Amino acid sequence: MITPIKALRKNRFKTALIFISMSVSIAAIFLISAISGGVVSMYSAMLKTDGDIIVTQKGIADTFFSDINRSLSVSIEKMEGVKEASALILGAAPVDPLPIVGIYGASENRYKSYLLKQGTYPKSGEVMLGSKIYETLKKPTKIVLSKKTFVVSGVFKSRIGFEDGGVVMNLTDAGELFHKSASIFLISLDDLGKSEGIVKQINSLSSDIEAKTTESFIDSYNQFKIIKTSSDVIGAMAFLMGILGIVSMMSMVVNDRKGEFGIMRSIGLSSTTIIVKLLSETLIIAILAYAVALGASLGILEMIEHADKFQGYINGEITAALMIKVFIVSVTMALFGTLLPAVYASRIDPMSLIQRGGA
Amino acid sequence: MKIEARGLEHFYGHEKVLNGVDIEILPGSFTAIIGESGSGKTTVLSILSTLLQPSLGSVRYDGKLLNELGNIDHFRQHNIGFVFQFHYLISYLTLRENIALAALDATLIDPLMGSLGIERLGKRYSDEVSGGERQRAAIARALINHPSVVFADEPTGNLDSKNALGVYELFREFSRAGTGFVVASHDKKIADYADVIIEMEDGIVKQIHK
Repeated sequence: MITPIKALRKNRFKTALIFISMSVSIAAIFLISAISGGVVSMYSAMLKTDGDIIVTQKGIADTFFSDINRSLSVSIEKMEGVKEASALILGAAPVDPLPIVGIYGASENRYKSYLLKQGTYPKSGEVMLGSKIYETLKKPTKIVLSKKTFVVSGVFKSRIGFEDGGVVMNLTDAGELFHKSASIFLISLDDLGKSEGIVKQINSLSSDIEAKTTESFIDSYNQFKIIKTSSDVIGAMAFLMGILGIVSMMSMVVNDRKGEFGIMRSIGLSSTTIIVKLLSETLIIAILAYAVALGASLGILEMIEHADKFQGYINGEITAALMIKVFIVSVTMALFGTLLPAVYASRIDPMSLIQRGGA
Repeated sequence: MKIEARGLEHFYGHEKVLNGVDIEILPGSFTAIIGESGSGKTTVLSILSTLLQPSLGSVRYDGKLLNELGNIDHFRQHNIGFVFQFHYLISYLTLRENIALAALDATLIDPLMGSLGIERLGKRYSDEVSGGERQRAAIARALINHPSVVFADEPTGNLDSKNALGVYELFREFSRAGTGFVVASHDKKIADYADVIIEMEDGIVKQIHK
């Protein structure tokens, strides 16, 4: 282990370049995965709050476009095994000076899921603000939404960034604002084991609606798939850029150290030994770069989370699973990026040593 | 190990540098290949040491052709040592670590360094010792696995005459102990130490002195 570390120290400048290149690539993978994962996780958490089953308009691509008849929730609530059915309108609108803010119209039975910090739950003509947007807007007493003024009745705290940076109002006001009855119903059950049967019953109520268990909805939700695919594509680009960076730098390193590898070949060290030696050098860099990228990513995510500019909507999370996944990606990046230059090094002809000085 | 080369011819591109060379190296002998620059001595040394394949002709090691020796890396590691004009010690390793890089048995390093008079320099780096000490470390690296034969290309090319003679004396000493040496050199003083002197000129063996 000492030899690779000494080799890295000897070639400090190029080692530093490889280290920086890898750190940036790994941090990019961490950030894009964490942010996209955070968005999916936050929205999923919001849907899961008091929601074992979700009902939307049938065939709709996004819950924001969904429009269902809120009176159906009364029939659903009467079904056996249903504990509660709450209606939600999901919308977005500018709130000066913010260009876009999440607006949630909620039926009164859903208010209890918002932890009230001050004031009261909203009545007609009133809104309740998430603590993040309340601070961002500098503790307003009124806000204007689509040219209509609403009194701020209270402030709530939510661990879900979309809600903490959003506005909650009653369902009727939201319906008037967005011209719809309800976007979704969130249904909580007495017994999760009965969910499939209840889903069938709900679907039989109207051909315009579609009920799914929350888990199945999250698994099939197109927006999540788009976010995940985009994140995977950007992550793959960062991975490839990382590999290309390592290949080019390691090629220069091998070229600089031709004499060293020629000597190793002349004293009988096998090609495999030389390849393993170079791989172990980049592996050490990869592990250090991973640690630095992880620390930097955590710091950046913390800054983003608390930046007013992002209203708490970007709330990346680095889970243990993501850490393991990115670690494997980092090691793979190092190994793939080094393999070609290492194979070249292992084939350096020791004759080059003699030709430099021989007759 | 007995090495027999027959009818060696070699081209670098269109340039013919060897023109039918027959050489025999006896086990444990100290053989010097001498000649002017461009005479072909380094090419012969490279072919005999397995680093270079001849364009024509054959080399046998104890009667076996190169392709009959099995894994060439393994053969080199166990049978052949190299000393180059430029010591080619790895600069980020200490002298001891340089020798250890080649060693099959690490317990032999310290006694060998002792016998070469560099036992106190084990923790030094190559840029912290003299040219003669560097070359001794390179010789130790070549000898560490008790090779049958050590090939040296202009091993004294970068040394002053005192250190050069010291290197020849070492070769002589280890040769007496059974290790063969084949040394390509333009330094005529080597003749005082070698058992066999092969004189080359324009790609052929001009004369062999025993």
